[in-house]
Amino acid sequence: MNDAAHSSKGRSGSIAVGIALLLLMYVAAALAEFVAPYDYREQVRLEPSAPATTLRFIDATGAFHLRPFVYQSHLTNSREYEYTEDPSEAYPLSLFVKGSNYRLLGLFDTDVHLFGVAGGRGDTAPFLHLLGTDQLGRDRFSRLVLASRFSLLISPAGTLLACLLGVLIGAVSGYAGSRADAMLIAVTDTVIALPTLILILAARAAFPLELPPSRAAAMLISIFALTGWAEMARLTRAQVVSVKNLEFVSAARALGARESRILSAHILPNIAGPLLVQATLILPAFFLAEVSLSFLGVGLQEPEPSLGNMLSSAADLTQLGYHPVLLLAPAVVIFVFVLATRLLTRGRR
Amino acid sequence: MQINGQRGQNVRAVLSIGALSQMLKLIARQFVRGLLMLIAVSAITFALLAAAGGDALSGLQDNPQISQRTIEQLREVYGLDRPMIVRYGKWLGSALRGDLGNSMTFRIPVASLVWARLMNTLLMGTVAFVLSIAVTFALSVWSVLLKRKWLDHVIETLIFLTASTPRIVLALLALLLSLSFVTTSSGYAYELAAGAVVLSIPLISILLAQLKGSLDEVMSEDFIRTARAKGLPEKLVIGKHAMRAALSPFLTVAGLSLGSLLGGSVIVESVLGWQGVGALMVAAVRGRDVPVVMAVVLVTSAAVWLGNALAEVLQFANDARIRTSER
Repeated sequence: MNDAAHSSKGRSGSIAVGIALLLLMYVAAALAEFVAPYDYREQVRLEPSAPATTLRFIDATGAFHLRPFVYQSHLTNSREYEYTEDPSEAYPLSLFVKGSNYRLLGLFDTDVHLFGVAGGRGDTAPFLHLLGTDQLGRDRFSRLVLASRFSLLISPAGTLLACLLGVLIGAVSGYAGSRADAMLIAVTDTVIALPTLILILAARAAFPLELPPSRAAAMLISIFALTGWAEMARLTRAQVVSVKNLEFVSAARALGARESRILSAHILPNIAGPLLVQATLILPAFFLAEVSLSFLGVGLQEPEPSLGNMLSSAADLTQLGYHPVLLLAPAVVIFVFVLATRLLTRGRR
Repeated sequence: MQINGQRGQNVRAVLSIGALSQMLKLIARQFVRGLLMLIAVSAITFALLAAAGGDALSGLQDNPQISQRTIEQLREVYGLDRPMIVRYGKWLGSALRGDLGNSMTFRIPVASLVWARLMNTLLMGTVAFVLSIAVTFALSVWSVLLKRKWLDHVIETLIFLTASTPRIVLALLALLLSLSFVTTSSGYAYELAAGAVVLSIPLISILLAQLKGSLDEVMSEDFIRTARAKGLPEKLVIGKHAMRAALSPFLTVAGLSLGSLLGGSVIVESVLGWQGVGALMVAAVRGRDVPVVMAVVLVTSAAVWLGNALAEVLQFANDARIRTSER
């Protein structure tokens, strides 16, 4: 029992860390244009495939500054993408810097960004590329912040729809019993066994290859719902069967409650716990499915940024050699998201 | 050693006639179910693709050099102008005869194309599967034998970490590693090895959690205590008694993992450039190559069904062996 107490303490710790990570990601995604120092579409043609801007604390005279600063850098070898820094003037970083215009949360027009290079004299202020730029000279950090938004929106929406569908099918199956139940079980088991990503791709083939973001989102959400409901249905069915003949259900029936009311008001609230755990397991699966489709070029497409299409441009072998760690930054975001959702369900099955 | 030999003969009981006929029934039932499933899956995919309206020829409409008449003639040649149900019937009829049509982008028979690709996928998948099984058995038996808290924690952490690391991230890391030490001559071997490792890691998580969980559960049961009380060495208690009881649920999960392997192959093959069905599927979807999409769905579903059916039969045989040896 000591062990159980220990693991329950560990579990609540895991959940807290998971929620904190998810919260951080969602806040950053919601305020993406504010967090990103530049417009994700802005192409700086003079700085293609630039390495990450070095944040400096010690200046040319050896003095230490608490506030980080950057130097202006120029492309000196356009064949090898070599950049040289010019240490003649230091540009300190600031918070709440004015930059490109955007609409925050779709409500307020503003041009303030969380951080950036302040001061400077007009156009001469250097760019701050935390993760460098891509081949078109777009700031990779800004694109990454925006990219996570699409994936972070699609996966919960798909999960919600798939869960609703799964709960409905599972509840009907478990509650109806007999023939309908047997048939639904067979269908559910079949769908669970099939290779999901292949099915998702087959369904994807039914839509035009290039889609605007909103239609791509709608398409992905519906494909996920149609292919991902089965696990939820199986679990719901098992749970419904296990509680449907318990006393409180019989009591409700004796009091004359309608069957649909018994299901929604008495059975479902009692089995919500395990269903929630299952939903938390589906979430990262859909997140990865969206990433995979965009990676394979059949999800969200350029010029819109998504974690998947950023990864596929990173996987280009001619690029991967240059700054591998920075290129794979989207992979880190993906890993953190999946880790965070797994932390929520750690120790449960 | 004496005890070992005797027990071995005792337990190696032959399946009874009754069990055998039951097993044949099971196989027949699995077969019918699989056939129904394949027809349903292919019909749904076919309907979905037909409802979408687009086919490999719709891209031609943007080409001003090709008239609407030519496109319609081509549609007629490929039979794309007929109603959907007729086309599906025709497709199913020839599919049953092993003819899956011609690929619209590769311009060769789909069956030979998919077959060659499937062999590549199965090669990598088999290596991955064997690797996962080996690691799973080694780790879970070791932990049950050793009975150390720290080892349990290590395994639990391993299960958690492997479950949290997506294949797409692992595959990209493998690609990154390949830049530093792979030459063109060792490319094939590296792709196979790296691909198999990447495929197996999430699988190990699932299998290890399952086997370790049921082994731990079984070890506290009465028949294990009896076996120990008889003076059986711990290795045999685990190998002969505990493992056999824990094996049945494990087989179900192992059978189901085939779907995960085939789904995972899409990403792994695309990243590493392995010429398997997963990469073929992606190319087919991008090229709207309907016959190839249909064939890949059919073949992968069939593979998954075969795996599950095999798992069920093995599970039945294992259960029958337990029943016979308990008699």
